[in-house]
Amino acid sequence: MVLSLRDVSLSLQGNAGMVDILHDISLDVAARETVGLVGPSGSGKSSLLMLMGGLERATSGSVEALGNDLTAMDEDALARFRREHMGVVFQSFHLIPTMTALENVATPLELAGARDAFDRAAAELEAVGLGHRTGHYPAQMSGGEQQRVALARAAAPRPDVLLADEPTGNLDQATGEAIMDLLFGLRDRHGATLVLVTHSQELADRCDRTIRLVDGRLDRETRRTAEAAE
Amino acid sequence: MNWLTQAARIAGRELRGGLGGFYIFLACLALGVAAIAAVGSVRVSITEGLEREGRNILGGDVEVEWDFRGASEAERAYLASLGTLSEIHDFRSMAATGDGSEADRALTQVKAVDDLYPLVGEVELSPEIPLEEALAGDGVVVHPVLADRLGLEVGDALWLGSKPLTITALLRREPDAGADGFGLGPRTLVRRATLEESGLLSEGSMYETKYRLLLPAETSDDALDALKAATDTELEGTGARWRDRRNAAPQVERFVDRIGSFLVLVGLAGLAVGGVGVSAAVRAYLDRKTPVIATLKTVGAEGRTIFAAYLMQIGVLAAVGIVLGLILGVLIPLAAGPFIEARLPVPVALGIHPFPLVEAALYGALTALIFTLWPLARTEQVRAASLFRDVSGPARGLPRKRYMAALAISAALLIGLSAWLSGIPELALYAAGGILAALVVLVGAAWGVRALSRRLARTRLARGHPALRLALGAVGGPGGEATAVVLSLGLGLTVLAAVGQIDANMRAAIDRDLPEIAPSYFFVDIQPDQLSRFLERVQGDPAVNRVDYAPMLGGVVRSIGGTPAREIDHWVTRGDRRISFADALPAGTRLTAGEWWPEGYDGAPQISFAQEEAEEIGVEIGDEVVMNVLGRDITATVTSFREVDFSSGGIGFVMIFNEAALSGAPHTWLSTVYAEEEAEGQLLRDVAGDAPNITAIRVRDAIDLVTEALSALAAATSWGAGATLLTGFVVLIGAAAAGERGRVFEASVLKTLGATRGTILTSFAIRSALLGAAAGVVAIAGGAVAGWGVLTMVMEAPYAFEPVSALVIVLGGALATLLAGLAFAWRPLAARPARILRAQE
Repeated sequence: MVLSLRDVSLSLQGNAGMVDILHDISLDVAARETVGLVGPSGSGKSSLLMLMGGLERATSGSVEALGNDLTAMDEDALARFRREHMGVVFQSFHLIPTMTALENVATPLELAGARDAFDRAAAELEAVGLGHRTGHYPAQMSGGEQQRVALARAAAPRPDVLLADEPTGNLDQATGEAIMDLLFGLRDRHGATLVLVTHSQELADRCDRTIRLVDGRLDRETRRTAEAAE
Repeated sequence: MNWLTQAARIAGRELRGGLGGFYIFLACLALGVAAIAAVGSVRVSITEGLEREGRNILGGDVEVEWDFRGASEAERAYLASLGTLSEIHDFRSMAATGDGSEADRALTQVKAVDDLYPLVGEVELSPEIPLEEALAGDGVVVHPVLADRLGLEVGDALWLGSKPLTITALLRREPDAGADGFGLGPRTLVRRATLEESGLLSEGSMYETKYRLLLPAETSDDALDALKAATDTELEGTGARWRDRRNAAPQVERFVDRIGSFLVLVGLAGLAVGGVGVSAAVRAYLDRKTPVIATLKTVGAEGRTIFAAYLMQIGVLAAVGIVLGLILGVLIPLAAGPFIEARLPVPVALGIHPFPLVEAALYGALTALIFTLWPLARTEQVRAASLFRDVSGPARGLPRKRYMAALAISAALLIGLSAWLSGIPELALYAAGGILAALVVLVGAAWGVRALSRRLARTRLARGHPALRLALGAVGGPGGEATAVVLSLGLGLTVLAAVGQIDANMRAAIDRDLPEIAPSYFFVDIQPDQLSRFLERVQGDPAVNRVDYAPMLGGVVRSIGGTPAREIDHWVTRGDRRISFADALPAGTRLTAGEWWPEGYDGAPQISFAQEEAEEIGVEIGDEVVMNVLGRDITATVTSFREVDFSSGGIGFVMIFNEAALSGAPHTWLSTVYAEEEAEGQLLRDVAGDAPNITAIRVRDAIDLVTEALSALAAATSWGAGATLLTGFVVLIGAAAAGERGRVFEASVLKTLGATRGTILTSFAIRSALLGAAAGVVAIAGGAVAGWGVLTMVMEAPYAFEPVSALVIVLGGALATLLAGLAFAWRPLAARPARILRAQE
């Protein structure tokens, strides 16, 4: 399994005391699989995705990625693991405002020690149709363009796992669709595992499997192949 | 409801949010205002103390003073007709433990008084006996420092000249000490009559005679003016100097005024540094308020309404900051009162003085206005559309013309006010120009370091070194704290570097240069009949390298080139002037124009004039100088100019007459002796033992006194510069704190992309170091230029760049930025990426 979660719970300190976000989640994601996480707002989809990426620490239970126990790693070990194996895309893009598009994309490659970081970053930007915008800062680009840079940044190191948190949430429908085409195209090209949080059923339907969360618990699992078989 | 009322209402509602986020703004303004208010309060306390106690400090209502002579019978009669008259002789002499060459000797400032002294105030003695009793017979009173130096106690013998006296008491308090200025030795108090057989105070020797007058109690200041005018006419051309209770201690007053003004200028620089912080705080506040401003515009608020609303809010905040500063400015001098009083020879009227507070408040308000107008004017450029579209990035271009005009007027007002109120307009204008230039250069440096960082971030050099490229990107990219940090730190460091350069240069001049060229001793009051024995002793000593000597007497310039002396504004024509005479051209003298008189010349009197002073006064070869020497007018023709270097510590006279013109007049000899340090003690014992009336001034002691005065000056300046640096540090912390949010976000994204904490921390450190270095380089250059300007233009001293002081300051600056940056790096490093990034969704 690429990702393997066992009895994972997550509680966070809120203003009015501890808030339970996730309860006893166990699930596996296979190599090259595409998984859609769906559910109402506040159901814990994004938190689950963050746990998979080691961006959040489980209160209990174990999270394994590519055979490594993420719960046993410190911050730096998690960072090194991500730069070798994971790409993350956010709803709000999260580009670094003080860097140009090219620099944003090159950063994870540089961190991984790639000698040709900038050439690969340029190629990646070309692939998402932004070859002409390499020198622009995030503030000089539209939302759709920023998300394409974020996609390029996530995909550039050829990660084993792509995690995307509502990547089209801040975009209009047409732009959103274009971004999704790009995301799935990248996944297909690099053969990565993709876990995607989305509100869009249409998007979820493009995944091999859809997992629905309600109140921090696994509610229902649907497989596209099974669905097609029914 | 007009737009101003609307603005006031909006401002009121916005202010309900409290002062959160404005601590840096308040601290910057309060610190600057407090520094200026404190300095101003202390200055006014001292000058008011001087005014209130003027009569006590002067020891009378009026003092008329002559050098080298007492008043004639007619002059004395005139003065006595004005009120109660008391006579004082003040001179330097050697106090000795015996009369042989084995005796210990120390320089002392002798005050020989009459029975009426002191006319005002009380002399305090230990033991507590009346002065009359203490000075009866051969009694003498000495300052404890002199007694210590000679190892003497009450009851021991003390020799002045050839006269043995008995110490009857130690001097605890001398009421008129402030009026006498800074003497070279501790005080000795003795009756004039007691000194009759001492051999001191003979004609031609160096002493001052002071005539103190007590006027009827009802004498008004107007009556004083009338009296001064009458006395000026009566005593015109006699070299008499007038002083009255209104300017009792001019030296102290001038000193306090000068240093006070200088410190206010340093305080203004501090306020400018604070202004950078104020500006940054307002920018950050208005950035946060962009959605509110856009919303207000959406619902119909005009640009001017919004501008006024935010100007009012900043105004309220500025008022809070200024009031805080004023409270501090009042409390600091009160707390430091005993410390200040102990260090000054004059009374200090500590209390709340409104004038310096108003001055500080005005400076504070104008600074706040100047540094907030620009960001406030930008509120007009916020478009309602920014609510719906993320038009991030700073607005570009200049604010509208009226705001630029308001900015220019405020700046002109601040500079004009400081020039007017400081009392040193020229220096104030230079300082304002310097601060303005430093700000411009720093803005340029900030722009430069950003552009360079952007460029470097794209070169191969940075590629593959993510920490370096991240830092370069953060410094060079849009937004960021680069400009605020470089400006505040740079300005603070520039002020500190300038003070460091001035201080180091003056110390270097004294420590290093002077002792090498200065003589060991000045011997004064050598009587003509003592000269040959004196020269025999000193010239025969193998440890003596060089002896210079010249005759000296006092004279008063009556006119130069037909112009009366009172119409010439130059120190040479004021009061008594020491003059000399010579037959042959003295060795080492270089004539720059004209010719020296032939040897044995005894024709009409001639003068050789100092080149520089002649130029300043406008004297030309062939001009006639009328000089009154001991009551006789001598008319002499200027026949040559000489080079005279007064800074070398040797003998230098502005006017040298031909020998025949003056050799008949009573005179004494002055000698400078250059000797090995180890031979100095024996030399003094031999000379003074042989001729006790000769006074020796040890140059090293005089230098120590100057160094001490300089240390006090340097200490006061360091406090001023320290306040500036503290403000700079507050601004720095403000900038670091303001940047923290950005860094937390950045660190989270970088962690997501695989950056370790080490990489992130290194990146933060590099960017701090880059900014610190940029500020430091400008500070070195700015400090050097300012130091050069103050030294060459104000102090008329040579300037040499002092690298150690500059380096220490710049490294300190870089380190401070680094520490501030790192102190604010812990939160970003510790932050969990998921929480931070999701909070921004």
